[in-house]
Amino acid sequence: MKVQVLFFGATAEAVGKREFEFSLDENINADKARAEILEVFPSLRKNFGNSLLLAVNQEYANGDEIINNGDELAIFTAVSGG
Amino acid sequence: MKSDFFELTTETIDVGEVARRIVPNECGATVTLDGYVRQWTKGKETLYLIYEAYEPMALREMEKLIAQAQEQFEITHVGILHRLGKLEIGETSIVISVSAPHRKAAFEACEWLIKELKRTVPIWKKEVYVGGEVWVKGENQDVNVN
Repeated sequence: MKVQVLFFGATAEAVGKREFEFSLDENINADKARAEILEVFPSLRKNFGNSLLLAVNQEYANGDEIINNGDELAIFTAVSGG
Repeated sequence: MKSDFFELTTETIDVGEVARRIVPNECGATVTLDGYVRQWTKGKETLYLIYEAYEPMALREMEKLIAQAQEQFEITHVGILHRLGKLEIGETSIVISVSAPHRKAAFEACEWLIKELKRTVPIWKKEVYVGGEVWVKGENQDVNVN
């Protein structure tokens, strides 16, 4: 299945793109999806270790959410607005 | 009709205009936070900031914060406006206005809102300073999921 992965701020600079279409196996959860994304973009793990946040369909993910075809994922660092 | 609002903009913010949008007749006080770009941080000189947002999610998170504030505090209306893009020194990056029958609840809600916004709303700032630039690290890695 296909998902869209979005990057912002520091993660967008680290991977050199703002979005990426990603192929994933069916029935995997958010934690596994994050691990697969980090494998494809080693610069994320190198720069940010395990501190990255993941959102699935514009909601913070805690890791056990099941990812579906067409979902919008986003990977970013701790927010710094205000 | 005066009511809650939450918006993102790339335009210059008029703080007074934001505050006036949430003032109903039953209120006696509006507390407004005007957050703006600081030039000096611990001896380091900032030249300008660039703000970036995950816009649809940022709006959803702002809406959630307002709903939570409405539950926790005796307030009437909340307005939040965050600017994005390049901001020069002294320019307003965020306005949070809270109106209430009495000031105490408005002060408390405003403080709570800015604290939570800095923790949960997906907006990031890049600081360009004399000698370099950096995406500012958020203070909090733990975001409640719900």
